[in-house]
Amino acid sequence: MSDALIEARQVCVTFGSGSRAVRAVRDVSLHINAGEAIGIVGESGSGKSTLARVLAGLQRPDQGEVLFGDESIYQRGRAYRGDKRRLVQMVFQDPYGSLNPRITALSTVAEAVKFHGEHSRSESNRLSLELLGQMGISERDAAKKPRQLSGGQRQRVSVARALSAHPEILIADEPTSAIDQSAQAQLLNLFQGLLGDGLSIALVSHDLGVIRYLTNRVYVMKDGAFVESGLTQEVFENPQHAYTKQLIASIPGRHLQGAGA
Amino acid sequence: MSTATVTESPSEVLVEIRDLVIGIQRTRADRLILVDSADFDIRRGEILGLVGESGSGKTMVCRSLIGTLKRRSATIFGGTIMFDGMDLAKIDERRWRSVRGNRIGYVPQSALTGPNPVMTIGGQLVEAVRCNRNRTERDARKRAMELLDLVHIRRPEVVYDQYPFQLSGGMRQRVMIAAALAQDPDIILADEPTTGLDVTVQAEIMKLLREIRTEFNMSVVLVSHDLALIDDVCDRLVVMHGGTCVEVGSVKEVAQNPKHPYTIALNRARIELATPGTELITIRGNPPGVGEWPSGCRFSERCEFVQDDCRVGASPPLLEVESNHWSACIHAGDLGAASE
Repeated sequence: MSDALIEARQVCVTFGSGSRAVRAVRDVSLHINAGEAIGIVGESGSGKSTLARVLAGLQRPDQGEVLFGDESIYQRGRAYRGDKRRLVQMVFQDPYGSLNPRITALSTVAEAVKFHGEHSRSESNRLSLELLGQMGISERDAAKKPRQLSGGQRQRVSVARALSAHPEILIADEPTSAIDQSAQAQLLNLFQGLLGDGLSIALVSHDLGVIRYLTNRVYVMKDGAFVESGLTQEVFENPQHAYTKQLIASIPGRHLQGAGA
Repeated sequence: MSTATVTESPSEVLVEIRDLVIGIQRTRADRLILVDSADFDIRRGEILGLVGESGSGKTMVCRSLIGTLKRRSATIFGGTIMFDGMDLAKIDERRWRSVRGNRIGYVPQSALTGPNPVMTIGGQLVEAVRCNRNRTERDARKRAMELLDLVHIRRPEVVYDQYPFQLSGGMRQRVMIAAALAQDPDIILADEPTTGLDVTVQAEIMKLLREIRTEFNMSVVLVSHDLALIDDVCDRLVVMHGGTCVEVGSVKEVAQNPKHPYTIALNRARIELATPGTELITIRGNPPGVGEWPSGCRFSERCEFVQDDCRVGASPPLLEVESNHWSACIHAGDLGAASE
């Protein structure tokens, strides 16, 4: 597709070598268009997190390339050189581990704002508070350290930190799996709003409910390769691959769907 | 496997929890209350769901049923847990040893860290089998094999000699269930048994729990924050919010005719029912933190039907609004019309 913002071509990632080599990602190609949300589903060990890291520039693939615009992101040295590094941001799975426990939510975000925008301290604090406010974190909560915040709040701080760079793509690796149901709904509404503002989102999850709700297109991953991909709605209504069928049959509460809540 | 739900006739009550108060004694005069007036029954042969957000007290209630509150420095301050003529809220550690594991089995939350990493699967099961009864080594081994077979582990003779790291998360959780079954308990407590496991594995574990229920007429208490899951597997459910039970009833009743605003809100916030692209309905605010409970109904600050009299006095108790259906909302009677 021509308007692809980011494109992965025949990406392979292998960990280890020799007889113990694990081929985590095998010959996977995908693209993300501007303003769309794609989903990557699969069970643990299917390679979806590795693929997310490849897209985010954190894991160099052994083969294949990742194109951002027209350029490969993995050139000599570091991935995403210069300004491009800002444009792809990641939100990690574990809101307990991905925030520095010793600094407040405000400092966490302000640090990123300062880094990306070269603002003065007071200016970056103001921008950070504004950003946190949009995420539903009050000024009072912004002064708290991670352990004083709930899981959902921590995850929203992570999102605020990622957004401080004004990215074009947000890669979210299981952002909802460690938080409560009501916090999950808040976070998803937030993502929905961001999509409306033109951000692209790659959502990695094993929660098919979340995928169904948020994404337009979905890639189903098993043993490092895609077994099925397509429009989310079509894949959910008419899964072709046996594995996808099994996945969809396992969603709890599925019998209630369409019954009118 | 049978998918039939339990018949309407109320079955024998195994455990009767009344006005249970759990908390932490911080100083001589300062008590931090974690659970306040938990109030429900566990019936024989049922799968009972315990739902609530983090901090709602569901894990604490669970721990009070296996007598391990002390390890979390929490204490029972009041109320009773009647089980087979004993009050579990008051028995000492010596009596607990005959109950815990023996009569009430426990499947921990994390399958990945649950099993002892430096002991073989067989060794752990033999330990579980021998802990209360005098069995010979050979007997225990036989029983351990039986247990592995019971939880549908293929090639039990191989798994017996393996270590936890060699098993997948789903297999490990099956082993934990096998260990919980070792003494043929009356009740199995499963505290978020599928957190961190894949949906397909989750479905298998749930199927297994249902089989165990049907085969041994055992009661299963399933703690979860996933209402959809509870709906799928449970017969009855207890909804907890802010350290207290807000609604108790059959899953079908509560899903179709919820009588507490919190349950109504939870039902609405369910993502698997949402239309993609529309805004999800969220519950206002955050769950009340421990020690920050408002006066009156603890949901009042987040409730869309709140009225002035909701905010005063003590937390309202559960009242039977329909037969076998309890709600702690003082306006439960008016909700039917309001929630349409």
